[in-house]
Amino acid sequence: MGNDGFILIDRVSKEFAAHGKSAAVRVIENVSMTIARGEFIIFLGPSGCGKTTLMRIVGGLETASCGQVLLDGATVIGPDRKKGMVFQSYSSFPWLDVIDNIRFGMRFRDDISAAEKERLAQYYLELVGLRGFETYRVNRISGGMRQRLAIARTLAAGPDVLLMDEPFGALDAQNREFLQEQLVGIQKSEQKTVIFVTHDVEEAIFLADRIMLFSARPARVLQEIRVGDHIGTERPLAVKSTQAFFALRNSILDVTRKLALQTEKIMLQGGMSPA
Amino acid sequence: MTEQRDPHGSEGSGPDGPASGAAPPVPEPTVWQQLTGFRGSTTRGTDIALGVIGFALLLAIWSGLVAFEVVPKQYLASPQAVVVRLWELLTRYEFLDDIGISVYRVWLAFLLSAIVAIPLGILMSSFRIVNGLTEPIIDFIRYLPVPALVPLTVIWLGIGEASKIALLWMGTFFQLVLLIADDARRVPREYVEVGMTVGARPSQVLRHIILPAMLPSMVDNLRITLGWCWTYLIIAEIVASDSGIGYVIWSARRYVKTPEVMAGILAIGVIGFLTDQFIRWLHRRAFAYLR
Repeated sequence: MGNDGFILIDRVSKEFAAHGKSAAVRVIENVSMTIARGEFIIFLGPSGCGKTTLMRIVGGLETASCGQVLLDGATVIGPDRKKGMVFQSYSSFPWLDVIDNIRFGMRFRDDISAAEKERLAQYYLELVGLRGFETYRVNRISGGMRQRLAIARTLAAGPDVLLMDEPFGALDAQNREFLQEQLVGIQKSEQKTVIFVTHDVEEAIFLADRIMLFSARPARVLQEIRVGDHIGTERPLAVKSTQAFFALRNSILDVTRKLALQTEKIMLQGGMSPA
Repeated sequence: MTEQRDPHGSEGSGPDGPASGAAPPVPEPTVWQQLTGFRGSTTRGTDIALGVIGFALLLAIWSGLVAFEVVPKQYLASPQAVVVRLWELLTRYEFLDDIGISVYRVWLAFLLSAIVAIPLGILMSSFRIVNGLTEPIIDFIRYLPVPALVPLTVIWLGIGEASKIALLWMGTFFQLVLLIADDARRVPREYVEVGMTVGARPSQVLRHIILPAMLPSMVDNLRITLGWCWTYLIIAEIVASDSGIGYVIWSARRYVKTPEVMAGILAIGVIGFLTDQFIRWLHRRAFAYLR
């Protein structure tokens, strides 16, 4: 850990150009950070603050206006299978069944054999707990299962970094907690570098090695919280009801409440909707 | 409050709250209530029954108008006369050949416009330059009424098959290509980005994501456009032709053979209806995953 610098976000700013009646909007303001290999990073901040945009820049799905992102020493210039993405909405393909959706993640890989692809498909199916649902159509399974499926497909592509954009945002509280727990388990066995965007403070603390707390738009890093220093690195579900967890949650909530009010003001003053 | 409650209290709830025991069933809404309620529900069976009733009513009104001579016979033939005439046409006047040539013209023109419209529509949705160059032109031509193009097609292509196919093609292509482009644009951005983040090149995204994702709505649009083809067919066959359903209708008109005119119209209606139902059925089967 420390300054291994697997992902380097180097003085990134992003401005959406003016078009029509809306003026140019600066959504990210000179953000720099270093992320170590295997680290679980949370981008926490009010809705619409620009944290998703920053993650999309890391994924090559948006371009920075200033600055650059380095992944394993190479400048990010566009999307590829090294930067896997799990979206907020259900992104699995309804015309494919569960196992074919997972296979789709490897369809364009030429670094592994067909036999290996099949082995991996079965492995990830098992990993996300969808064994028995191989032949189910995507809209016959629950929302939580769909997000697990999206995680399996993304992992199957063999990414260096997993980018997750509020992946559990559309789920009910029980499902959400269940998936958080599963993700902790998956992370333990896969050891991926993860950037996970959320505005849910408890989710952030439960999952993160490190939380990057962003300001209201334009996003700047306000605070960097090494969660392990507060609640330890083991994350059983019970950690959510410890004193240390509450204390950390309350201190972060104090900051985010103020941020939410600020963001509301920015939104009311006009400008574009959050990207 | 220790008041003893009637253990079989089905008299409704007392002042202390709900009565014990099973609640009386809430009466199911009647079929009539379901059908007349605002945005009510229905079953497939009832739907088909309603369709049949609709047709029966139409036939009854039609028969009534003729039987009581509300409309003179030379203007409106009775349903029986139309069906009889249709039968005669089919059995004695080689009307099947006319139907055949009309179906052939419609499908040939339709397929030709689909073959061009599908790739062009997808390219329009994918590349701004293609869209920018073509959309204004297409939008312009799209508003030209097809009958206004008849003289040009005759001057350019004569009165043979080519001018009819060209007319039908122009009538459908410019509508279809915009519908296809819209279908492609409506594919969720997430689907495309999933493709790019698992390493698909743009051509692979088109083939493996955009195409299957847009297919259901595209088939629907093709079905609707095929219907428009039939409208233009009659125009094409009326202007300059010696075969086809439109030709039969138009020559029957000359001698005020109303039953024959109506028999021709009926034939088109039946063919259109059957084709439409067939494609709908295919759609339901092929895209069962949507439900």
